[in-house]
Amino acid sequence: MARSKKRGIPWIPLRKTVQGVALAAFFVLFVWSRRGGWPPSLVNVPMRLDPLAMLAHALSSRTLLVGSTLALLVLLLTLVRGRMWCGWLCPLGTLLDLFSLSRWRGRKGAPPDSWRKLKYGLLLTVLLAAVLTNLSLMIFDPLTILFRTLAVSVWPALDQLVTVTETTLYGVPMLRSMVSSFDGLVRPRVLPAQPAFYRYSALYGGLFLGIVALNLVASRFWCRYLCPLGAMLGLVSKVSLKRREVNDLCRECDACVGVCPTGTIDPERGYASDPGECTVCLNCQETCPHGAIGFSWQLTPAEWQTHDPSRRQALMAFGAVIAGVALARSGLSAFREHLGLIRPPGARENNLLSKCIRCGECIRACPTSAIQPSLAESGLEGVWTPVVVPRLGYCDYSCYACGQVCPVQAIPPLSLEEKRQQVIGQAYIDEQRCIAWADLKPCIVCEEMCPLPDKAIKLETVDAVTPDGETVTVQRPRVVRERCIGCGICEYKCPVNGEAAIRVFVPPTMF
Amino acid sequence: MGALFGGWLVAACGAEEAAPSATSQPPTATQTPPSATVGASATATEGETVAPAPTEGQPSPSAGEPQAPSPTEAQAPTTAATPSAGPPDLVVTRGGEPEELVRQALAALGGMGRFVQPGYNVIIKPNICVAYHTYEYAATTNPWVVAGLVKLCREAGAARVRVIDNPFGGTPEEAYQRSGIEEQVRAAGGQMEIMSLFKFVRADIPEGRDLRSWDFYDEVLNADLVIDVPIAKHHNLAKLTLAMKNLMGVISNRSAMHSNLGQRLADLSSRVRPGLIVVDAVRILTDNGPTGGNLDDVRKLDTVVATTDIVAADSYAATLFGKQPLELEYVRAGTEMGLGRSDLGNLRIEELSVGA
Repeated sequence: MARSKKRGIPWIPLRKTVQGVALAAFFVLFVWSRRGGWPPSLVNVPMRLDPLAMLAHALSSRTLLVGSTLALLVLLLTLVRGRMWCGWLCPLGTLLDLFSLSRWRGRKGAPPDSWRKLKYGLLLTVLLAAVLTNLSLMIFDPLTILFRTLAVSVWPALDQLVTVTETTLYGVPMLRSMVSSFDGLVRPRVLPAQPAFYRYSALYGGLFLGIVALNLVASRFWCRYLCPLGAMLGLVSKVSLKRREVNDLCRECDACVGVCPTGTIDPERGYASDPGECTVCLNCQETCPHGAIGFSWQLTPAEWQTHDPSRRQALMAFGAVIAGVALARSGLSAFREHLGLIRPPGARENNLLSKCIRCGECIRACPTSAIQPSLAESGLEGVWTPVVVPRLGYCDYSCYACGQVCPVQAIPPLSLEEKRQQVIGQAYIDEQRCIAWADLKPCIVCEEMCPLPDKAIKLETVDAVTPDGETVTVQRPRVVRERCIGCGICEYKCPVNGEAAIRVFVPPTMF
Repeated sequence: MGALFGGWLVAACGAEEAAPSATSQPPTATQTPPSATVGASATATEGETVAPAPTEGQPSPSAGEPQAPSPTEAQAPTTAATPSAGPPDLVVTRGGEPEELVRQALAALGGMGRFVQPGYNVIIKPNICVAYHTYEYAATTNPWVVAGLVKLCREAGAARVRVIDNPFGGTPEEAYQRSGIEEQVRAAGGQMEIMSLFKFVRADIPEGRDLRSWDFYDEVLNADLVIDVPIAKHHNLAKLTLAMKNLMGVISNRSAMHSNLGQRLADLSSRVRPGLIVVDAVRILTDNGPTGGNLDDVRKLDTVVATTDIVAADSYAATLFGKQPLELEYVRAGTEMGLGRSDLGNLRIEELSVGA
């Protein structure tokens, strides 16, 4: 039966095609998740397909979003066919297949099976922490890792590369029109018209390379030992309806053992595998010279493995979570929120920390790269949450993309009119450094830039005496408190070098 | 090199010294339109220092030459009885639809054929400074004024008409769209171009008094014709933002311009030298500029000002706000540098009523 199947459908090419299409779809949705691209509810579909992100969000936020139910599709698929998500669809998994580094992998053999426990431990910790309204560990979700790496590291780097190339080629007169045409094609649809800069882009890029480099130790190291989403789907796979089976045609040739990307085929146990580890890649089935491997309907749960989560592990995770969450809360996260941490419009009032799945969709969507990933400035608990850094980008008065694209409404989906009235901070002028105040020179850039119809920055025309005794007339900016929404364009455009002479802070009155 | 000064040549195309550009212009002897007046030739030929012309009505050497009509001139209004001395220094049209205001202003100015020759590469620079509001808020140039110019350029045989700006608030693509300009320009046969960073190149400003060089958008320096299409708006430092201020959009590092802004704007204008200036005063923004957003600050004047003289354009537009031209520092600086004339009383100004 298995043999006829082998001749019938070219399973491996089919799987690779599906993997390629899914990866391409992820990329394309990423590229067009910038404001002005495709509809937000379409581009954030990958995140909403992620059952770990959606479950953790539901636990932590105590809300169930209609959009999140999309993740049930992946759960359903897993319930029927096991971890097919991992082997066929997951874009990170596909990249790890593409960059398997098998040529450089040592002959030493994989780490012991007990390492597989790690991912279950991580999963338990993620979910228990979510129950305690903490989502910090969502930074380990494979989709958030990949999306954020693309947004913060890969695309900005690509943009720089293209810009340098364009600049160089544009210097050659005969190439100018060609370079111009090319630029017209890629900007602003694929690359931004203005370069986007992100903090920690090297760090996030490096972390991603680290995950790829783990392939040097074992193929799909991430998926075997670390991935919490893989762990979640693995647990479901224990009761999946179709599971791998080895029949009595097996001649114990070991051919399947070598081709299994997760190393779950155990010659000691009759070449059986753990459905919690099997990604249904079908390498074994197609490799077997005897047609001894197939996938068949099964109704009894799979055998519990020694590396599967134990009660002890659960208790340990529980203890770790309580201690960890409490420690994180006693640290900077709660306190530092009050100092200078500007959040995307409406997010602060919306209890961002317990809703944000750290996916980076808002960072990608923000057309001015005002939204940046935080590292430690919002405390350990806030790692990878979005913060607005006005010196790097301002909140565009014509934009409301972040709230639209957020897959879990951690940034509320405000309308443009609502967003224009959403106060995210307040601008304060540093009179010691302001060109008009300190140097008695003309500037007014902050007033000019202020997008509010009646200007939240007003100019006072005054006569002042310079240190040389000369009387000059200057226009001094002042902020109108009740109008300022803290968009930060004044801070962004302030021509004073280094730190701006007008800066946005979160005023205490907002709490 | 020839292409580099294409814009200048257009500005100076009536002057005898102007030689056709070697690379980008066909021989133009037959199409050379008449030099209008001293005021128009004050927009200067390459390398020539022109003092502000003290008199008017000086006979122009080529005033009697017949002018090659452009296809659009069939629609030239009968009211626009062009004086025999040639086109006026400045045309003001009032009281009609924006596109018609533009058409009639250009017709009275001698037709777009005076500025555009077949095959020309034209850059139009409206003011699309922010992505915040639609055109009714008068923060961005009227879409039909821009599109009207695109059409006239195309009708005069321009090979390529591109519309550019570099908004400071919001992304260019969003600003192009929200202003309504993109839609109208596309429909009129023009292109919207995003101003990418790599196209800003350092260029000398030979006549500059404060700035000796700055980073300019290369396409502007290379165009055969640059049309400057500001919307007349309030601005707290410059008092008003008009044609000279609108050229801020073709340079980089704008906020550094703000000290000695008046002189610096004149310096920029001396380098860019738009061949045609069309001031959109269909709606003007009287306060809270340049960003706007409050309809109470908008006044509908249904007016368009067209001229080859950037100083005269800003001088006339200043009067729409009840200001004297020389109240604007850049007008004063531009006059001193001989970029154009602010003595409105001595200019030949043709005012046309377009509406019913």
